[in-house]
Amino acid sequence: MEKAQRLQKLAQAVLDMDLEGVVPLVQDSLAAGLSPNEILAEGLSAGMRQVGEKFKQCEIFMPEVLVSCDVYYRGLEILRPLIRQGGGPVRGKMIIGTIYGDIHSVGKDVAVPVFQAAGYDVIDLGVDVPDERFVEAIREHQPEIVGLGTYMTSTFMHTRETVRVIEEAGLRDRVKIICGGPAVDPAAARRMGADDASDDAWEAVGKLDRLVEELRAARRSA
Amino acid sequence: MSEIVDRWVRRLKGKLAPVGEMTHWERMVAAFELRPSDLVPVAPELDYWQITYAGYSHAEIYHDVDKTTDACLRTWADLRTDAIWMYVDISHQIENFIPPEKRPEHFLHRGDKDYLLFKPVAKTIDEAIELYESRAYERHLDGSRAVTHYTPHMLQLLEFQEKMDRIVPVIVGIATPSNYAETLVEVQQFVRWTVTEPKKVKRYLDLALEERLAALDFYAEVARAHGLHFVCLFGGARTWGPRQLREFGYADERFVQKAVKLFPYVFWHICGHNLPEAMQLLVQWDGIKAVQYDMPYYGQKLSWPEWCESVARLFAGKRCAMNSPTTQTACHGTPDDVRRMVREFLDATLPHTTAVVMPGCEIDSYSPVENVRAMIEEARRQPLP
Repeated sequence: MEKAQRLQKLAQAVLDMDLEGVVPLVQDSLAAGLSPNEILAEGLSAGMRQVGEKFKQCEIFMPEVLVSCDVYYRGLEILRPLIRQGGGPVRGKMIIGTIYGDIHSVGKDVAVPVFQAAGYDVIDLGVDVPDERFVEAIREHQPEIVGLGTYMTSTFMHTRETVRVIEEAGLRDRVKIICGGPAVDPAAARRMGADDASDDAWEAVGKLDRLVEELRAARRSA
Repeated sequence: MSEIVDRWVRRLKGKLAPVGEMTHWERMVAAFELRPSDLVPVAPELDYWQITYAGYSHAEIYHDVDKTTDACLRTWADLRTDAIWMYVDISHQIENFIPPEKRPEHFLHRGDKDYLLFKPVAKTIDEAIELYESRAYERHLDGSRAVTHYTPHMLQLLEFQEKMDRIVPVIVGIATPSNYAETLVEVQQFVRWTVTEPKKVKRYLDLALEERLAALDFYAEVARAHGLHFVCLFGGARTWGPRQLREFGYADERFVQKAVKLFPYVFWHICGHNLPEAMQLLVQWDGIKAVQYDMPYYGQKLSWPEWCESVARLFAGKRCAMNSPTTQTACHGTPDDVRRMVREFLDATLPHTTAVVMPGCEIDSYSPVENVRAMIEEARRQPLP
């Protein structure tokens, strides 16, 4: 099978929500000599981009998107140790977690693979994440972006508190903070001390790029 | 007989300044029956907001129904909305599935202004099915199956409604089968299973439906006898796509079929990003008088007035439209933002059908009181066509 054909099949597996088929496809592709980065970027991630397009066009909906994300993850699990060995450039690094007091994760479950597929190194801190855990994770992983999942209007209101704790730890200048979820509002997020917000993972990739560029520009000028 | 209710009846009965020419009850009935009213009704789902507005915390009201009722009546006396919403939190759905001593482990409550969340009671669909098959909800009953310890609060509000000679209706929310099915396991798991485990999801929904239909009997026996007329059926299915609505919508439809036979003024609550397909389904389900809907689905790229108008055209002659401002604007916007959104909703809706001003979901407890007042004022001054 041609390389292009294998990559197309990998993308299609994500699009088709093929939970059973993706693992042998990744293994076969590795055995055929494709690099882990190629399989990820041009196969699985390409599939996630197509999922995004179909979601935007209302051709598929949230349940299907979530299962496509699961397929992406199954493939990524095989590739992850190989990619770490090989290194490779990333667009930026972020930590992400659902804010303390909120156990929802629909949006984060979609956002993490979308961001990874776009080239971000994403560390997922899970749900109901205490503010102090964000501080520890900033120190540990040195991210450029902190993603706060806030899926209820009331938990979104705690963005201010989380930002304050990051500020008090002396880390605010090192990161850009973006809120995500159906309850977010960009203007309100800025009033609460964050830098931006989005309720659409694919749209958020553009915002991440801009925030990373702003942070890097500020570092250069400092 | 309730002392807290009698205290409020003594304070208010015969002493309230009229709001318009109709009573609040008459205004809501007119809107639901698609008839003209003197003013556009405004009936925001005040939920936990009214508890904090009245100066109480969740810890205070959770085990004190008098304080819960006091909060609702105090808020209504101040704001004079066209309905009083019974307060319930998500505990009323899950408590019956958990032994009392285990319930605190499932609470998730960040602070006094925060809505109560519960951690899920089942992690897999097999566990969830087992919960229903073993009829766990009957083993852990706290006196009543439907609204657990908030049942006395519901009855107190209905007592107030009746003693005030039905000038203002009480709205009681009843969770739908899809809402129960999603809540017990977390929505993100449930919606995945609609794709990966459709047969098990059907079994699970059938069991949830069976329990919910039986719960309606409780509401019919207890609440209807005490004067309940206005019922909000609050839905899950908010992240479903058209396929899920087609394959699994039957459970909620059967639930609706029974509810509308029991209560005269039943409306559906569908918050989140709404699909046009869901709206079309709600128009087809006979007996629903009104729909409390929310913002358009991500991909539709419609402006707020365009979305409201498209829904109003769909509802023309069939349903009353309940909306505006969004929960987010009520919380994060300014009073001017709220007023603009209410006007846009009414301008788009009233040429086609009747309207009730209220966000598509609850007023968040962090919403400024001036925003809630702005919503009510804007509804009150809207000229009717």
